Amino acid sequence: MISEIRNQFPILKKRGAKPLAYLDNAATTQKPLAVLETIDEFYRTKNAPVHRGVYALAEAATAEYESVRDHVQDFINAKQREEIIFTSGATAGINMVVSGLAADYLHAGDHILLSDMEHHAMIVPWQDAARRKKLKIDFVPLTAEGRINLGVYKKLLAKHKPKFVGVTHVSNVLGTENPVREMTALAHKVGALVLVDAAQSIAHMPVDVQKLNCDFLAFSGHKMYGPTGVGVLYGKYELLERLPPYIFGGHMIEQVTRAKTTYAPLPEKFEGGTPPVAEVIGLGAAISFLQNIGLKNIKKEESKLTAYALRALKNISGLTLLGPATADARAPIFSFTLKGIHPHDIATLLDREGIAVRAGHHCAQILHESFSLDASVRVSLCVYNTPSEIDRLVRALVTIQKRFYA
Amino acid sequence: MLDDNRDIYREEIMEHYRHPQNFGTMKRPTFEAEALNPLCGDKILLQLKVNKKGVVEQVRFSGAGCALSIASSSQFTEWMVGKTVKKLKTTGPDQIQKLMRAKIGPARLPCMLISLYALQKMLN
Repeated sequence: MISEIRNQFPILKKRGAKPLAYLDNAATTQKPLAVLETIDEFYRTKNAPVHRGVYALAEAATAEYESVRDHVQDFINAKQREEIIFTSGATAGINMVVSGLAADYLHAGDHILLSDMEHHAMIVPWQDAARRKKLKIDFVPLTAEGRINLGVYKKLLAKHKPKFVGVTHVSNVLGTENPVREMTALAHKVGALVLVDAAQSIAHMPVDVQKLNCDFLAFSGHKMYGPTGVGVLYGKYELLERLPPYIFGGHMIEQVTRAKTTYAPLPEKFEGGTPPVAEVIGLGAAISFLQNIGLKNIKKEESKLTAYALRALKNISGLTLLGPATADARAPIFSFTLKGIHPHDIATLLDREGIAVRAGHHCAQILHESFSLDASVRVSLCVYNTPSEIDRLVRALVTIQKRFYA
Repeated sequence: MLDDNRDIYREEIMEHYRHPQNFGTMKRPTFEAEALNPLCGDKILLQLKVNKKGVVEQVRFSGAGCALSIASSSQFTEWMVGKTVKKLKTTGPDQIQKLMRAKIGPARLPCMLISLYALQKMLN
């Protein structure tokens, strides 16, 4: 099965001096043939503006674009198709929510509750909004194992009655899968709205927005085998109705006069300008790719790979893993440090072995600070990675240690 | 792994990383400046003692960093001793490339040039 999956990714067949072991999937995944061909086919035979042209080509492009909205609705089990907003990525989706809520829903002195494991995409928009609107941001600390401290979370909810909780479904550094369903229920009890950052979970496990009951959820196409420049913001219909538009211009209007403009209904209200049509259609192909394998199967296989990687990394002396040491409630993301060797040296030397990993703070400086670190090496796996790639990684890490400790 | 004499991680460079020259701090430097590596947040403090003739008598650097930043700072500070401030003002990345005898990709270039950034900051 794994060879069938790998065969669908042309870049994995690339042969340089060393075969490519692509272990940076939390940053972006590679793209399967179905996605590449769908986009190519669209530009070759179907390209036209959506929502405006009255000719057949434009109508067909519009129908295909809009059918992906239905597909996404089905994929994350949203109640209505209007709850699916196409964005340029998870960052844009989060910015839309933050900016919209800050505009008139939130007031000076209101509390926002985030966690120490949030990506900068969740933290930085809120810091900017907090500065302008005099909001207070609190951060839920993490346990030593790299999980959200739920005891403190409950206390902070009770103490501050925050208006908003922003939490990542899966940490892009620790791999921790957060209990977002329970966290959402607790947040709702104090009247907080909840935004789930699903950028790191969407390609690895079933995501059901009605089950989670979150108010908003954002993810990116390019981390789920789709193209860059496209993402999805899900929001409950009545909340999206309340939020002001984010991008103003063509398509998002109902009527424009010299005196004023009235806005289009959902979802158009949030899709000003020409949307990334080919990318949305490519995203549809990526969702089909995921559904063909099945998210439950993916989760099961990746969990085995996670257990394998955790065992292998544990055997390296001097390696300190950030995040949970067992495969339970955990995605295949492994950040670590090696004693006495800077993460950037490790990444450069792994690259010489054809192994692509990330080094740095991975857009999570607060998380690193809470572990008293500046940087770490991150290995992130997905559906096409194999145990033998992990073996190659481990061998290369041991060789690097020998070189440094010589 | 490559082990030719153009390799940025060759043994000679690794020796500079393990035992950096001019590593530490000095009291009452003539000039000092700190440079930040935007890639990873590593910081290096560079200090110079210059005599009345404008010649560098002593250099110290301190901080934490990767092998490339420590080894290049070690070699670059060795080279600086005996040079005039005037000469240092016109020193560019080529000098460090020459000392390291190796090329590095754009992503890691700031690591290799971090002590040059500190030098430029203190002299301008």
